[in-house]
Amino acid sequence: MYPPSAIAGKEMLEVRNLTKIYDDGTVALRNISFTVEDGEFLVIIGLSGSGKSTLLRCINRLIEPTEGEIIWNGVNITQADAAQIRRIRREIGMIFQQFNLIKRSTVIINVLAGRLGYVNPWSSLVYRFPEQERAMAMRALERVGIADQAYKRADELSGGQQQRVGIARALMQQPRMILADEPVASLDPVLAHSILGYLEQLNKEGITILCSLHYLDLVQRYATRVIGLREGQIVYRGSRDDIRRMTDEEFREVYGAEAVRVSVGLEGGAA
Amino acid sequence: MVKRTESQQEKRSSLIPAPVAGLLSLVVPGLGQILARYFYRGLLLLASMGTIVGLLAWRIHLLAHREGSPLAVLAKALQRRPSFVIPMLIGAVALWLFIAWDAYQLAKPEQRKRSGIVFLLIFLLFFALGWQITNIDLYTAVTELPDVLPRLSQILWPWGAAFDEITEVISAGANIQVPCTDNPPPPPEEIPGQPYVMATPTCGDLSVQDENYRLVPGTVLTFTGRGFAPNTTAEIWWFDPLGNEFRVRQEGEYLTVETDDQGAFEIEVTMPYRLIPSTAEGPQLHRIEARQASRVIGLAPSEALRLSIERMIETIMVGMMATFFGIILSVPVSLMAARNLMSGSWVTMAFYYIVRTLMNIVRSIEPMIWAVIAVVWVGLGPFAGFIALTLHSIAALGKLYSEAIESIDPGPIEAIQATGANRLQTIAYAVVPQMIPPFISFSIYRWDINVRMSTILGLVGGGGIGFLLIQYIRLLDYRAAGIAVWFITITVAVMDYASAEIRRRFV
Repeated sequence: MYPPSAIAGKEMLEVRNLTKIYDDGTVALRNISFTVEDGEFLVIIGLSGSGKSTLLRCINRLIEPTEGEIIWNGVNITQADAAQIRRIRREIGMIFQQFNLIKRSTVIINVLAGRLGYVNPWSSLVYRFPEQERAMAMRALERVGIADQAYKRADELSGGQQQRVGIARALMQQPRMILADEPVASLDPVLAHSILGYLEQLNKEGITILCSLHYLDLVQRYATRVIGLREGQIVYRGSRDDIRRMTDEEFREVYGAEAVRVSVGLEGGAA
Repeated sequence: MVKRTESQQEKRSSLIPAPVAGLLSLVVPGLGQILARYFYRGLLLLASMGTIVGLLAWRIHLLAHREGSPLAVLAKALQRRPSFVIPMLIGAVALWLFIAWDAYQLAKPEQRKRSGIVFLLIFLLFFALGWQITNIDLYTAVTELPDVLPRLSQILWPWGAAFDEITEVISAGANIQVPCTDNPPPPPEEIPGQPYVMATPTCGDLSVQDENYRLVPGTVLTFTGRGFAPNTTAEIWWFDPLGNEFRVRQEGEYLTVETDDQGAFEIEVTMPYRLIPSTAEGPQLHRIEARQASRVIGLAPSEALRLSIERMIETIMVGMMATFFGIILSVPVSLMAARNLMSGSWVTMAFYYIVRTLMNIVRSIEPMIWAVIAVVWVGLGPFAGFIALTLHSIAALGKLYSEAIESIDPGPIEAIQATGANRLQTIAYAVVPQMIPPFISFSIYRWDINVRMSTILGLVGGGGIGFLLIQYIRLLDYRAAGIAVWFITITVAVMDYASAEIRRRFV
């Protein structure tokens, strides 16, 4: 069902000199360069407005980069035309802080929406999916433990369940990489661990994860590598061991001088 | 400055001593408050005092505008309506003094008390003026009540006029020759089992007018009949050779006759006045008939009921068609009036503002007024009502739809795009599901409004049941009007319930 784990250590995504300037003149990303290797769980940390969301959305071109290149398995994403970008997008799942489900549709339709890049576009317009796609959607829901909710409306589910629907939708893309934009910022700490646990499990099965997070404790628990963003620039790079030893000084370097180190369960703080 | 906290107000010290403030407010109401640094309070008091004095002067002038000097006007007004003028004058003077006292209180350095009693007095004075200007007259409302009750009961229960009785009519007639010749027609032949009539003589002269326009009575016929229903009224009808048939009147009353126990009758009939064109020559054959409604064999819907049903259908259809065209035409309008779609360049933004402004203008003009304009344009009838409602619907729905488009959540769009979906798929999965509930809700709501509006557009000639209603009211046919009112009420209530129910289910 999922692509076989590629050879660990193989370079998968390369971001070169990426810059994004919005129409109003806001510089969201300044000359960012980094690489992601196959099978990594890369966490991006940084304050709100530091450019994390912009960076993740540049990778699948939901936001058009101003300058720079993004190379995905040898293909230049920034140069891709509309058809190519759709093919690239369907291999990259995405999970959002606000879940971004189709609230009035059923859970199963939300999950099947993950297949839109694969199925016949015309029959999908009238919400018709082949039987094997439906079976696949049920398996994806079983994986995240909410198969019994398949025919409920998405907005009847709790926050944690909705995010699991989001994961199931991403799984339907049979992704090689998942972009997760603050996937647990709207959830309480227990649910946060549950959701990140699913992502960790997928990561172990070979899916590369790019995830932005707020809480240092979660970063220390799940990340294999960390990038710190501040005002659109990379101000910190660290390995799994580096994060474990991360000092308050380094933490302040990322989050600004006024930031206080907080543990999971406390509100506000670094945010 | 308006929303100062209490502590800040305590710190504001008056610019002038308290007695001066009081005196100043006595000269110009509110001036003392303004100089005591209660600017808005002073302004409000000045405006209230000015308005009350102005309105009072106007009403007093209306009561006695023929008098010359102001004093004479006042005296005359006092004499005509003392119960209004005296309390109002006392109230106005009291307010004047109260404002001065208020200024004095506010300007006192130690304890600056703000009292609301002056505003209570202002409210009472406005209330009294409003009562008088609106001509509220509870006495008339009570004493004239008996006049309206019969009309009201006719409107509330009009169903007596909803059906006409269908009766079986039995009749028999005899020919009358005008004028008499040597060869008068024979009496009719008798058919057994059928009613039979006979007139003697069988010829005669009609009533005529002489040169002084006085009626000269015609020949008196003895009209006898038998074989009719017993003890029942029979009507006497006359047929002239031109094909007119009419009931015979004698001394202003319709001529009728009661049959006896055997179903027979006898009555004297003066031959009626008819103006027969002079081209008709020679003896003419008229006919006299006795008609009897023997028994009721059924009920038929009356004209008022039939017309009400027809016009009600027309009304609902006008509302439906106006909603249909309103929805279709408002979709492009709403796209042009959605800020998030039109914020691309200054050209589209200019377009957005033009469309928005036009929509606001069209919407602020009531459908009634549009109907008046449309009647001038396309003439009386449902088409004019349709145009009025469609115009208003486009503007109203355009605004509602565009606001729904503006409030769409961009999150799902992003999420569907991220799966590799194409543009159409993104619209089908992320945009349409978000648009359906407001779209259905607003459309049904509009249908409800349009049917409701179309019931009264007829008042100004826009067709539908309103046209019928205003006609019946002008003809003082309150029962027929009541039938129309019932249909309007039922339709509006059903639409109201159905629209609320459908919207509840969909949203």
